[in-house]
Amino acid sequence: MEQGDVPSAPADVSQLIAASEAGDAAAREALFAGLYAELRRLAKRELARSGAQVTLSATALLHEAYLDIAGRQGTSFPDRARFMAYAARVMRGLIIDHARMRRAQKRGGQFEITALATEAGELVADDRELSRLSDALEELAQVDPTLTELVDLKFFCGFTFGEIAAMRGVAERTVQRGWEKARIYLYSNIKSEGKLPFPDEGPRT
Amino acid sequence: MSGPATDRWMELRPYLDRALDLSPAEQSAYIESLRAENPALASELQTLLSSQRAAIEAGFLEDSPASLLGAFVTPGQTLGPYTLITPIGQGGMGTVWLAERTDGRFRRKAAIKFLNAGLLARDAEQRFRREGNLLARLTHPHIAQLMDAGVREGGHPYLVLEHVDGEPINRYCDRKALSVDARLTLFLDVLAAVAHAHANFIVHRDLKPSNVLVTNDGIVKLLDFGVAKLLEDSGTPDGEAMLTRDGAWAMTPEYAAPEQVTGEPVSAATDVYALGVLLYALLSGRHPAGETIRSPAHMVSLIVGREAPEMSAVVTTDDDTESAAAIAGRRSTTPERLKRRLRGDLATIVRKAMRQRPSDRYASVDALAEDLRRSLRHEPITARPVTFGYRAARFVRRHRTAVALAAVAGLAVVAGVIGTLSQARVARSQRDFAVRQLARVEAVNDLNQFLLSNAAPAGRAFTVSELLERAERIVARQHGDEDIRADMLVALGRQYELQEENERALRLLEDAYTRSRSLTDQTTRARTACALAVALAGSSDLPRAQRLIDEGLAELPRGLQYAPDRVSCLLGGSDVARHAGAAVRAVEYVEEARRELQNAPYRSAIQELRVLMELAESYRVADRRTEAIPVFEQAAALLSELGRDETAVAGTLFNNWALTLNVIGRPLDAEPIYRKAIELSRTDDSDEGVSPMLLINYGRALRDLTRLDEAARYAEHGYAKARTAGHEVIINQSLLLRASIYREQDKLIQAAAMLDEVEPRLNEGLPPGHIAFASLASERAQLASASGDLSGALEMVRRAIGLAEAAIRSGREGARFMPVFLVLRSEIERELGELDAAVTDADSAVRLMQDAMPPGMRSSTTGLAYLALGRALLAQGSLDRSRLALRSAVEHLEDAAGVDHPGARSARGALETGAGPP
Repeated sequence: MEQGDVPSAPADVSQLIAASEAGDAAAREALFAGLYAELRRLAKRELARSGAQVTLSATALLHEAYLDIAGRQGTSFPDRARFMAYAARVMRGLIIDHARMRRAQKRGGQFEITALATEAGELVADDRELSRLSDALEELAQVDPTLTELVDLKFFCGFTFGEIAAMRGVAERTVQRGWEKARIYLYSNIKSEGKLPFPDEGPRT
Repeated sequence: MSGPATDRWMELRPYLDRALDLSPAEQSAYIESLRAENPALASELQTLLSSQRAAIEAGFLEDSPASLLGAFVTPGQTLGPYTLITPIGQGGMGTVWLAERTDGRFRRKAAIKFLNAGLLARDAEQRFRREGNLLARLTHPHIAQLMDAGVREGGHPYLVLEHVDGEPINRYCDRKALSVDARLTLFLDVLAAVAHAHANFIVHRDLKPSNVLVTNDGIVKLLDFGVAKLLEDSGTPDGEAMLTRDGAWAMTPEYAAPEQVTGEPVSAATDVYALGVLLYALLSGRHPAGETIRSPAHMVSLIVGREAPEMSAVVTTDDDTESAAAIAGRRSTTPERLKRRLRGDLATIVRKAMRQRPSDRYASVDALAEDLRRSLRHEPITARPVTFGYRAARFVRRHRTAVALAAVAGLAVVAGVIGTLSQARVARSQRDFAVRQLARVEAVNDLNQFLLSNAAPAGRAFTVSELLERAERIVARQHGDEDIRADMLVALGRQYELQEENERALRLLEDAYTRSRSLTDQTTRARTACALAVALAGSSDLPRAQRLIDEGLAELPRGLQYAPDRVSCLLGGSDVARHAGAAVRAVEYVEEARRELQNAPYRSAIQELRVLMELAESYRVADRRTEAIPVFEQAAALLSELGRDETAVAGTLFNNWALTLNVIGRPLDAEPIYRKAIELSRTDDSDEGVSPMLLINYGRALRDLTRLDEAARYAEHGYAKARTAGHEVIINQSLLLRASIYREQDKLIQAAAMLDEVEPRLNEGLPPGHIAFASLASERAQLASASGDLSGALEMVRRAIGLAEAAIRSGREGARFMPVFLVLRSEIERELGELDAAVTDADSAVRLMQDAMPPGMRSSTTGLAYLALGRALLAQGSLDRSRLALRSAVEHLEDAAGVDHPGARSARGALETGAGPP
């Protein structure tokens, strides 16, 4: 998984996008794996380049990735909006994987004290929360995929409403409304411990 | 997820879209209208909208994604002035990074702890900072200093801590194979730190080996004091405590006290329990709960309602003898001996610390420490309930020692030289010398003889006040010549002034003045008037002081025989003028005194010295510092010639000389002179007898030389002494100085605390527009800049400059601050990208310094102005001009502040990298 300095550039990204949109699961996997590797490579490169002074932003990273891949693949490359949607999904994975990795590194979970060494049994809070968000987002992706995409772009990658609106060719107000809907869905979902945002057993019309 | 849920969402979605476009009031109306036709849908919609409000209140998904996680904390990333270097640990509370402070002039390491806590809402953020502020005031050699508690964008809390390179105490002890006694000795340091925190009402709550580190040099350092509480108190917006959400525990179960497990109130006794567990594990190598814990519930059952097994029994359980041998080996002993040692006293002590009920434990960490010390000395331990009577007795015992010490210190001050530093006092004591030297009044001479010979008697130590009282009684009993009595009263009054017994001094001098009104001897009348004037100048009745000087001078016609008295009165006039802030008039008086002296019938070296010192001082006060410096040099040479270079007068002279040098930006020259002044005013090996003003002056020079730790020590000592003496001006100056030192040490919270302390004091004690407010604003600007708030910094430095300009316009002190403020504004503007303004300001600062300094005299202030100019030009891309400025910066800074001064290094660095080779 770890990429060296010479990356295996994703195969033709536009073909992979087209294939995965046509329902090709393998292509989808390949697309994500390729983008994942690409983003990690770019992050590494940016950090090396910027030295000690610059904070790496996810947004900048995605722009960089787009330019890089588009540059390599020429005019056949799909539009930015579609690319960004996929890349943002990958970015979410990257962040959550990182959190899980950190958690795995810790000795045991909250109370899984195996041997009573004198050191602390260590507690983790943040990444568990993130995992729950991740689960909720996967659910939302089933219910309303555009909203998940919006969360990936806005929350995980830091795009502004304006940028997302421009990318999608819709009004900013639409994006904002979408964002509110996503938040409502996710917040209710997480607060109700993974249950549906509205009661299943509730009255139906 | 699909099926009903998806359908339901899709069905609700258009209504939600509609509702989201409405105002809250319209939403209610909309829902009500829906309710009529479809009540279920309406209530579902209502639920969703209320969860939207909850999400907004909770700030759900509001933060920027990069700050969501430590995952995106990467090496090289910056956080305010810090650059992250590498992660050095993961704890229950968060991830710890080694960081380096990189902005500005200093590089130093710190540990930054990113807390694994929920995001803080704004009010919680403030609470977090405030409580961090309190914790940052906790300073102890065995406690890792908390330097800053901040909140990153998006509400992620972090702490900046002193970086401790050490290992957990248990590992350290094992690696060094420390004996039980050595472990106990080390543990006493832990106890001292905890006791200190308790005395400041801070309970640790999470004591465990990973929070008790020992450095390679064997220094104990406790981490995370009060942090558990800090987190718990900074609750999340919906009222949950951060670390208790999800039922996660704030404390580490192995070291948690029963009351923490059962959720009862936490107190100092909670730390006593954890210390007991820690001691148990350190001594026996085992955890008191044994090694067989399988679940949290099991753990709780082991902690609550169950006393731990005896340590000695744990060491030699039959089935585990091999491991017992290993444990004993790591304590440089045998299992048998270890077992014996862990019986008896130590077992009793540990058991008492680990009692189930907090009230059954040691009442204080001190009590625990006391028993351990007794055990180390093989004395009987107390290990009995500590009664109030017992504690009271101990308090009295401690108190008695303190009283005795205070008495010793008092005597030391009296027996030694007088460490006063105000020029007025120098003038007065010099007048006393002059009086004796000229031997005009034998009685006065005798009186002084009496005082001097009895000031340091071999047997019983009299205080000077006692001696003066005796002298006063002697004078009162004397009959005869009223002239002599008036002169003796004047002499005594001056002695009281030297003792800073101003009320007594004034009483005697008023008496002398009144008596002399009926006398015919003009010189006596003049002397009493001028002596009273000088005493009044110190007690702020300046108009009357000035009238008395005029009166005294009017008594003394020009003429040789009056010259010595005229010189004295003119010097008195200068003193009064300086007190009145009339620096120019002060210089006029003293210059006239110098002319008068040249006309005197004999050469009085003492008067010459007084004139030189007063001249240097009035030049200094009149902002003619570069003229003052050669006069200080002459005065010092004359002192040495007179064999008086080891007197209090010399101490004062050196202080004022060094102060002048430091103010014009020559800290390298000032430092050894201050050093001499301190040595002169010392009464023993410590700085106890040294005047607080001298201590903080020296601290300021050390700060300018970036010897910050020493600087902080002197500033803190000076502050403490000024507090004791109730000396307002020195208290305020030392607070401002400490703020700047702490800021440069990156202790931003402490720096802010100093400023918060000094601000109301200044408001109360100084007239609006006083230059001290500009200093305060400038300090605030630098603090804001250090915390990354550039726009705030700019606003504050503008205020500083405005105040300084107003002061200069109205003829008050302020000019010398201007270049410093301009340099500061230039640096801030440059960081804000306002490069033209940055260049203009730095350029103005350079010009002001060039005007103020004689050609060829180098100054660190000039150097810093050039450095700012060079940096601004470099940022602008004007490489040639930048190179020139940077080269001047190097010349000035190396000469005035030393080759290792960070500014000099930074200028050389900029020359090598940015502006090309010189």
